[in-house]
Amino acid sequence: MINLLPNVIHMKDQFITATWETIYMTFLSAIIAGVIGLALGVLLVVSQKHGILEDSIIYSFTDKTVNVLRSIPFIILLAVIAPLTNYIVGTTIGTTAALVPLIFGIFPFYARQVQNALLEIDPGVVEAAQSMGSSPIGIIFSVYLREGLPDIIRASTFTVISLVSLTTVAGAIGAGGLGDVAISIGYARFEGDVTVVAMLIILVLIFAIQIIGDRLAKHFEQF
Amino acid sequence: MADSIIQLKDISVIFKDEQKELTAVKDVNLEIEKGDIYGVIGYSGAGKSTLVRVINLLQKPTKGTVQVNQQQLLDLDESKLRQARKKIGMIFQHFNLMKSRTVLNNVEYPLLRESISKSDRQDKARKLLELVGLAEFENAYPDQLSGGQKQRVAIARALANDPEVLISDEATSALDPKTTMSILKLLKHLNQQLGVTIVLITHEMQAIKTICHNVAVMEKGQIIERGPVASVFTEPQQPLTKDFVDTSTNVKEALARIGNDPQISKLDENQRLITLSFVGQSSKQSLISELARKLNVDANILFANVDQIDGISVGTMIAILTGTPDTLKQAVSLLTENGVKITEVKSSALKEDVAND
Ligand SMILES: Nc1ncnc2c1ncn2[C@@H]1O[C@H](COP(=O)(O)OP(=O)(O)OP(=O)(O)O)[C@@H](O)[C@H]1O
Ligand SMILES: [Mg+2]
Repeated sequence: MINLLPNVIHMKDQFITATWETIYMTFLSAIIAGVIGLALGVLLVVSQKHGILEDSIIYSFTDKTVNVLRSIPFIILLAVIAPLTNYIVGTTIGTTAALVPLIFGIFPFYARQVQNALLEIDPGVVEAAQSMGSSPIGIIFSVYLREGLPDIIRASTFTVISLVSLTTVAGAIGAGGLGDVAISIGYARFEGDVTVVAMLIILVLIFAIQIIGDRLAKHFEQF
Repeated sequence: MADSIIQLKDISVIFKDEQKELTAVKDVNLEIEKGDIYGVIGYSGAGKSTLVRVINLLQKPTKGTVQVNQQQLLDLDESKLRQARKKIGMIFQHFNLMKSRTVLNNVEYPLLRESISKSDRQDKARKLLELVGLAEFENAYPDQLSGGQKQRVAIARALANDPEVLISDEATSALDPKTTMSILKLLKHLNQQLGVTIVLITHEMQAIKTICHNVAVMEKGQIIERGPVASVFTEPQQPLTKDFVDTSTNVKEALARIGNDPQISKLDENQRLITLSFVGQSSKQSLISELARKLNVDANILFANVDQIDGISVGTMIAILTGTPDTLKQAVSLLTENGVKITEVKSSALKEDVAND
């Protein structure tokens, strides 16, 4: 063991802390970005041409905003957004500070995923609901979010997995977590075993997320 | 008219694109009586769906007024309009059921936001499922059902709010002939039992013949002909209407077949190729044997078809009459006197028809 993992063996606590930091960053930003992305995804679908609340101005504004935010490479977003992070959190270092760029980095991506999931829903079903006198809010909750649930869950799984890898990038500039460990200790001090173990833990996390996501999607997809 | 439940006045629908304008419905006036089964027939793109979607304002007309159940729908605000829509059920070609809900939950859906307890709601949904003959499928999901069963669920769902009007937009177009018949029978039954007025969109005369009392024929966004089905069917005025009728009686097909027969081109002086159509009683009389007995005119029947239209029997025949020029003339007048409509078919015209096909 000592020969195989000469450095990791002395860093058990550090690894546990780092793993929790990664989970914390991933899930807190997933929840906040999830709410924002879900709302924007729905907004894009209902405001599009022939949507239930068609509004070309809102649609094109949202669409362009999402596009622009999605085009910014995450590592640059980290730097660009630093003043905002500082303003909101009071610092730009640490796991909580990392939430701000993580949220901005992922919600546009998620909004698109949600939009695509909702576009898969047969417009005929929406039309049927309209013909039955459903209100726009009723259609959003009882048709779009309900009929689209399995696809939304799949998109969410995919998004959370992407988030895990973003946390490691954020980790590289001082956010903590497994990315931090892998880069600032494993890579910088040539302690290869640290990098490998950090990677393995990340893989385990990702597999776990994938399995839970698949189970949930199956559960809500009746047929 | 006081009794009309749907009144569309001067309806036009124009779709505008960046470059072009498309008039999908043009100056249509349509009145439908309470309790009627009113058919709208036309080929694809004629504007049928656009027109009926105006009835519940899923499509806002560019021009005109829409009155349903004594209410001017264009004057209503969004929430009143939603209330009005609940009284206008609609069923679709592709059923449009919600995959994530069971059959029962689909039928319950329109009642979810009504002030009605869950058990009352479910009771009502179950009653409706019984009405459409699907009581034992309440826990199934739509993907487990056949097309005909799905359409029955959709019908039950459309009836959940006790609508006054049921719009059926090509509801049987995705179904096989036998299932189509059973759905049409169900619609007729609902019309009789619940008194719901039905607007039936189709591109098949067969559906119109089976259950409609009145029909409007649409072409290029306009209603080109309308009236009681039996009279439109027996005396079509417009070429398109005639086309629909001939297709549904198989006369068109028969004429094409006959046109290919080399014997037909060899008709002599004493022979006439005619189509005969007759309504009601006259179809039951043995006019053909009378021709032979009284006038010594021989009829060689090449094709015959009798339809039930809105409870009246309507027959069509294609025959070659053989006699003398004189007796042939007498035969035609005898038939005409007995209410048979005669159209002579020129064998040359037949050939052209065939060539055109
Ligand atoms: N939302 C729309 N935007 C632009 N054009 C439309 C729209 N809806 C329908 N049209 C056009 O209007 C015309 C009439 O269409 P409509 O769907 O009413 O025909 P239809 O008689 O119902 O045909 P089908 O039998 O194929 O259903 C068509 O040319 C169609 O392309
Ligand atoms: Mg149509």
